Amino acid sequence: MGLARYTLWRVVQAVPVLIGIITITFFLANQIPGDPVQTMLGPNPGQEQVEAIQARYGLDRPIHERYLSYLSGVAAGNLGLSIYYDRPVLEMIMLRLPVTLLLMLSAFAFAIATAIPLGIISAKRRNKPADHVSRIVSLIGVSTPSFWIGLVLIIVFAFYLGWFPARGLVLPWADPADVRGAETQFQVIRTAAHHLFLPMIALGTLQMAQITRIERSAMVDSLQGEYVKLARAYGVPESTIVRKHAFQVAQLPVITIIGLGLSTALGGAVLTETVFEIQGMGRLIITAINNQDYELIMGTTFMFGVAYVVGVIITDIAYAYIDPRVTYGDET
Amino acid sequence: MSTPHGGDPDTETTQESTATEESGAGDVQSRVGMRYTLSQVKRDTTALIGIYIVGFITLVALFAAIDYYIFDYAIAEAIMYNPERDPDEVNRLLPPVGMENQFGSGVLEHPLGTDHRGRDIFSRLVYGTRVAMTVGFMATAIGLVGGTLVGAVSGFYGGWIDDVLQRFTETIYAIPFLVLVIAFMTAFGRDLTFAMIGVGITAIPVFNRLIRSRVVSIREEDYIEAARAAGVKDRHIIFRHIIPNSFAPVLVQATLQVGVSILIVAGLSFLGFGAQPPTPSWGQMLSQSRGYMLPAPTFSIWPGLAILFTVIGFNILGDGLQDALDPRINN
Repeated sequence: MGLARYTLWRVVQAVPVLIGIITITFFLANQIPGDPVQTMLGPNPGQEQVEAIQARYGLDRPIHERYLSYLSGVAAGNLGLSIYYDRPVLEMIMLRLPVTLLLMLSAFAFAIATAIPLGIISAKRRNKPADHVSRIVSLIGVSTPSFWIGLVLIIVFAFYLGWFPARGLVLPWADPADVRGAETQFQVIRTAAHHLFLPMIALGTLQMAQITRIERSAMVDSLQGEYVKLARAYGVPESTIVRKHAFQVAQLPVITIIGLGLSTALGGAVLTETVFEIQGMGRLIITAINNQDYELIMGTTFMFGVAYVVGVIITDIAYAYIDPRVTYGDET
Repeated sequence: MSTPHGGDPDTETTQESTATEESGAGDVQSRVGMRYTLSQVKRDTTALIGIYIVGFITLVALFAAIDYYIFDYAIAEAIMYNPERDPDEVNRLLPPVGMENQFGSGVLEHPLGTDHRGRDIFSRLVYGTRVAMTVGFMATAIGLVGGTLVGAVSGFYGGWIDDVLQRFTETIYAIPFLVLVIAFMTAFGRDLTFAMIGVGITAIPVFNRLIRSRVVSIREEDYIEAARAAGVKDRHIIFRHIIPNSFAPVLVQATLQVGVSILIVAGLSFLGFGAQPPTPSWGQMLSQSRGYMLPAPTFSIWPGLAILFTVIGFNILGDGLQDALDPRINN
């Protein structure tokens, strides 16, 4: 099986999981106490008004009918109408999704860029001071809540030093006319980077710490491998061994941990967006919950699931691509 | 948790013990029990530090729980302050002792300062331990029991049962767990009980995966086959042999999971889900401190340090246990 067919196979495999996510979120959303119609119309609405609203959002139909119509709607790319905002859910999500994805991608980029050198240094200088420092840093990293890191960063770098803004996010591809103080696209990008820096570190620290730990142990294993011993016996320089022989194999567990970290990072995005007042998917789901907006809660939860599933498929493909032993499933 | 052969002897059949002894399983089992774990941990400094931290936090949490449930904060009032006491508008946002801010100077009675309603931060931190530890342990217990059952049944029977259960846990795992717990708590209730259940459910896939992989590999071992051939019931094999044989990795995972659960619950409380005011919880304190980061930055620092200290304890203990129980490292 080629890489393209393997990708397709992974996408097909994800379909039942996605249906499962829709089912879970649908039934959870329907368990929510309180009446969304009442939330919309105030305490004493007229009977006709209530019926009109219920008919508009399909709330007058029995639950199994609503479930099936929601399922077929999602299959057709329709996530319904937000009861509170009276706008298509998908449209609202599409406005917020790029913000969360930008935050996630930058956090992982920061994590990978710092963790891999740290892990390698740690493994090469095992049980020496550099290793101890790196291990302590990663232990603290995996034990600290991301939102607290965010608060501390705001106190130090925004309030005391004034180096970075404490809230908000600017998309680097935004129109300069919409960004205060920016006239050219370059200035927009600079403002975006400026705003992104603190949330990126807050969200990326946990991932950085986890990747460092895995990178270290994978490199320690890899550097003790038979092929490395053989290369040493042949007199291959140590730097070449690390770069060419040990490194690639050691990246496999790292990819696995990145895939597993996606769930934590997506949850962490909800918290980071709250701390930095960023209007992304995380804020959207909290707003939806506060407004008892069923359709929006279902839609955002589903999209979080989709983001995770897509992320896992990408990491699986990366794994298959890097590992020469993976045969894309049709051979043993 | 009991060792495989440490349970009551009445339920042990003669055939079964013969079967296990013949296959040499006694050696394996003597390496995985509680006594073995303790003897290994005592030799591992890291694990010992973890035990001290976790032990200390557990004692504080027990003290807080006893005072809360039995004495209704009488001890707190006698030796420090009632963490839920009425607002004291005069002493709002005081800094820690020895420091000054626009609201006044730190005083010894409030060593870590006061919060936005004039309550003593130190006593709120102490009593916040109860919430963190209760949820951490209960959620882990729910995940452990649920995940062990699902994983053991799934791995032991295989076939369609395995398929259905695994797709189900995969689906739970596919929803980012903070989002799942938020949705769950919105549906059923925002209080601490649902926080525990919600976080526990998210831990099920973790233990399921661990136990299932163990079961699949152990299922083919000689002594299990022997037990089967001797007519021992499936349920008996799962609970008396397979699960006890997974003691070491499960213990490590459970220790780490308590830390993870404490982090998730802190995040939930930060977002307003979990312990409701005035019950003190660390996440909620951090959420309240957000409005005062500029005038009283230390208010945001202490609860975070408390979370960090506790979670580090569980992580060090988990790592230490892993090292202590990993035969490759011992060799």
